[in-house]
Amino acid sequence: MENTSEVFPSDPTWSEEGSSRVPFWAYTREDLYKRELERLFYKGHWCYVGLEVEVPEPGDFKRTVVGERSVIMTRSTDGEIHVVENVCKHRGMRFCREKHGKAKELLCPYHQWSYALNGDLQGVPFRRGVKREGKVNGGMPADFNPADHGLTKLKVARRNGVVFASFDHDVEPFEEFLGPTILSYFDRVFDGRKLVLLGYRRQRIPGNWKLMQENIKDPYHPGLLHTWFSTFGLWRADNQSELKMDAHKRHAAMISTRGQGGKVEEVVTGLDSFKETMTVNDKRLLDIVHEDWWGKPTAVMTTIFPSVIIQQQVNSVSTRHIQPNGHGSFDFVWTHFGFADDTPEMHQRRLIQANLFGPAGFVSADDGEVIEWSQEGFEQNPSQKTLVEMGGRDTEDSPHMVTETLIRGMYAYWRRVMGE
Amino acid sequence: MSSENWVDVASVDAVPEGDTIGVSLNGQGIALYKVDGEVFATAGLCTHGAAHMCDGFLEGHEIECPLHQGRFDIRTGKALNEPLTEDIRTFAVRLDAGRVMVLAD
Repeated sequence: MENTSEVFPSDPTWSEEGSSRVPFWAYTREDLYKRELERLFYKGHWCYVGLEVEVPEPGDFKRTVVGERSVIMTRSTDGEIHVVENVCKHRGMRFCREKHGKAKELLCPYHQWSYALNGDLQGVPFRRGVKREGKVNGGMPADFNPADHGLTKLKVARRNGVVFASFDHDVEPFEEFLGPTILSYFDRVFDGRKLVLLGYRRQRIPGNWKLMQENIKDPYHPGLLHTWFSTFGLWRADNQSELKMDAHKRHAAMISTRGQGGKVEEVVTGLDSFKETMTVNDKRLLDIVHEDWWGKPTAVMTTIFPSVIIQQQVNSVSTRHIQPNGHGSFDFVWTHFGFADDTPEMHQRRLIQANLFGPAGFVSADDGEVIEWSQEGFEQNPSQKTLVEMGGRDTEDSPHMVTETLIRGMYAYWRRVMGE
Repeated sequence: MSSENWVDVASVDAVPEGDTIGVSLNGQGIALYKVDGEVFATAGLCTHGAAHMCDGFLEGHEIECPLHQGRFDIRTGKALNEPLTEDIRTFAVRLDAGRVMVLAD
């Protein structure tokens, strides 16, 4: 019988070597979550902000977050992209409330402080006071210098139409942050072709943000949890596959190639299916057409730690942005896109296949549920540990997908950075 | 020319040297400025934040808006800095027997 006092340990330590037994308290402690924001989202890492195609014209802006901090991505009149913190330097107001828009300036409505699109402070009402009967009343002190009070500016990295930002101006270059292996999978999707925005999906998932990184570092679950995948042949545990990480083991790519042949008929007949008699009513959902840029793999899911997932699952491509809001909740924002050189048929195909994903997707709806239920299990007894030992206890790359090595790799990195 | 519509808006003495006042031109607010005895007139509202130009600060021939420090040249109406993106309208001025006459539409 466990002692009841052990359910909520007051000063727990990660006692084991390695990273195959993750304490439940790693998902439930608010102090650790704040430290994650400091060390993973605000320092030493690049976080996803958006696609350049979301702000195509000068003056366009998009409001998003880095960690929990609200930021605005803008395009200024010279075509540059800026990312600034959405907090007025006067009285700290989170002033921008629109998700997207077009503006000549960034204006806080409280006292109308006006900032240029690059974040420079350009106007302070009554800075020189107010004239009345030949006398000037009030105004800012003589030593007030607007150049000292611009919005907090983030360092910005643009690569092939994707924008990342960091509050840490000493962060390593983006390409080094990804490392050569993960960069090659990034460039596989984003190879410089012009992107087309197809649309967004948003959901709030009541679970710790790391569970979403883990979900896409976990090739053990798709063929088991996602019966839609196994039923219709899009993901099976014996698919040819590879798992690769960067040198720090924080980022990863799950690379898989679906069964031989790949003809539509073969998939729909479902000879290997979980439920053999089940067929898809709308056959367009399985109208998969190979694209040259894929190379051999038919699906590559790339996790870029800590903030984003790049999805290529057959003809559906998207970014999935992790936006934490507390230790037990995060918003998950999907940006579906295509390419400017897509045929009308491919454009339609990407839209149809997007039905597999998002909060109500035939596949992804399952992930939101299991993350919520995992968090429920952690909260009721934080003294326990997960058992992440499929495929061993090591953190090496793998030539197959029957392993949880990527999750172990991520927690090895997490322990180093978090000091736990 | 008889088609020109010059309107008496103020006495010359009412416009303080090196400063600005607001007056009415056929019911529309405009700003008058005096620099070295010469009088200039612009639209009354800033093209940016719709502040009254007559509450601004005149330095030489530049008027600085009291709200966001946008500056216009009062001789030409030209917008000189950010956040301004649009020039301000100017009006022709004539001094006649101690009165400021402004050319209306």
